[in-house]
Formats: sequence, C-alpha cells, structure tokens
Amino acid sequence: MVLFRSEDHVQAWLRDRDPGATIPITKLAELAEAWWGDRLAPDWRPHTREQNQAILDRLGLTGPFWRLG
Amino acid sequence: MDPNDLEARNATYRRFVELGRAPTVVEVGTAIGADTERVRASWRRLHDGHALVLDANGDIRMANPFSAVPTAYRVDAAGRSWYANCAWDAFGIGVVLGGDTVIHTACPDCAEPIDLAVHERRPGDASLVFHVLVPAAQWWADIGYT
Repeated sequence: MVLFRSEDHVQAWLRDRDPGATIPITKLAELAEAWWGDRLAPDWRPHTREQNQAILDRLGLTGPFWRLG
Repeated sequence: MDPNDLEARNATYRRFVELGRAPTVVEVGTAIGADTERVRASWRRLHDGHALVLDANGDIRMANPFSAVPTAYRVDAAGRSWYANCAWDAFGIGVVLGGDTVIHTACPDCAEPIDLAVHERRPGDASLVFHVLVPAAQWWADIGYT
C-alpha cells in the first residue's frame, strides 16, 4: 500500500508483476477518513467485515479486488 | 469483544498516543491495573482478531495506523513524529490525531522524496496516486507485506 508520483511510476515499478489497484490520493484521503475515524473513540468497537465492505462500496471501491475475505 | 480485551486495547492506543511510541506490556498493565499476564492474554486475542498486531516476542508491532518500528512512512503530527505501516495508515494518523500532518516517504519507483502536507484531511499534492498490490481478501494473510 504505497504512494507513487504518478501512474507511470506505478507501471514502471510493477514491471512484470500483476498489477493491483491504483486510486487517486484524494480517494485515499476519503478512505482513511472513513476507515480510521473512530479508532481512538472511547466507545470504539471492532468493525465488522460488512461495515468495512460498506466503506469500500460507498467510495466506489468495488469488484473482486476490493472484496474483503 | 471481551471487556478486559477492550480495556487493554483502548489503553494500548491511548498510551501509544501519549508516549509517541508503542507501550510495553507493563505500561499498559499499569494503566488499567492489570498484571502482565492478563495484558499479554488480551493482546494475543486482539492480535488473533486483527485489532492489533504483535511481533514474534509478543510485543506491539502495529496498533494500526501506528507502527512500533520505523517504516518508509514517517508522519509529522501534533509536534511529534510517528511511523505508519503504509500510505493508507499514514493518512490514518492524521485522522485519528485530528490534525494536519506532513507525510514523508519516497516514490518506490524513482526514490524521489515525497513530502506531502495534509491540511484539513486534504492532500496538498493531488497528482500522487496510491497503489494496492494485494487484493482485499488477502490483506491479513501477511499484514506486514500488505
């Protein structure tokens, strides 16, 4: 889960490896907000798989790659 | 979640923030009035439940988004520096601490330094991209690699 200067740099870094998924950094910021927002809350409870999947779905991170195990 | 485990988990996170590093089992035990055996047992169950990550010695390796060891993602926040486990977690540190951050890393392809200011949760350079190599279903198969 890494930051790159651009999509071209991702492709150069991958070389012969199978690509994963690339998203804009602005989308990552949204994802982090939704994923980590309650982490220090006194009433924190573990997210269920369904809750986490709903976060991904809401941000348009859908399809087999983004399907949690 | 077992109330004792939740108490140990919350104290671990609270002490991580207060200390600026991973707390020891003694520090967490002192915080909640528990002996080290109880804390270690809670940590193990929390590890098994993916609520935190222990190292081979049973000490804290990750209390996501915080890393207990230096990584390629250093985050300046609240007048201190933290290490994040990955780029996602680097943004997460700003979210959990509730303030502006600067993320220091380097492009894995060209090694050019990236010093990214994040103000009010918005990245200062929107041209960067985030790549996830491992499919979501396998993220916890090897969380260190993920």
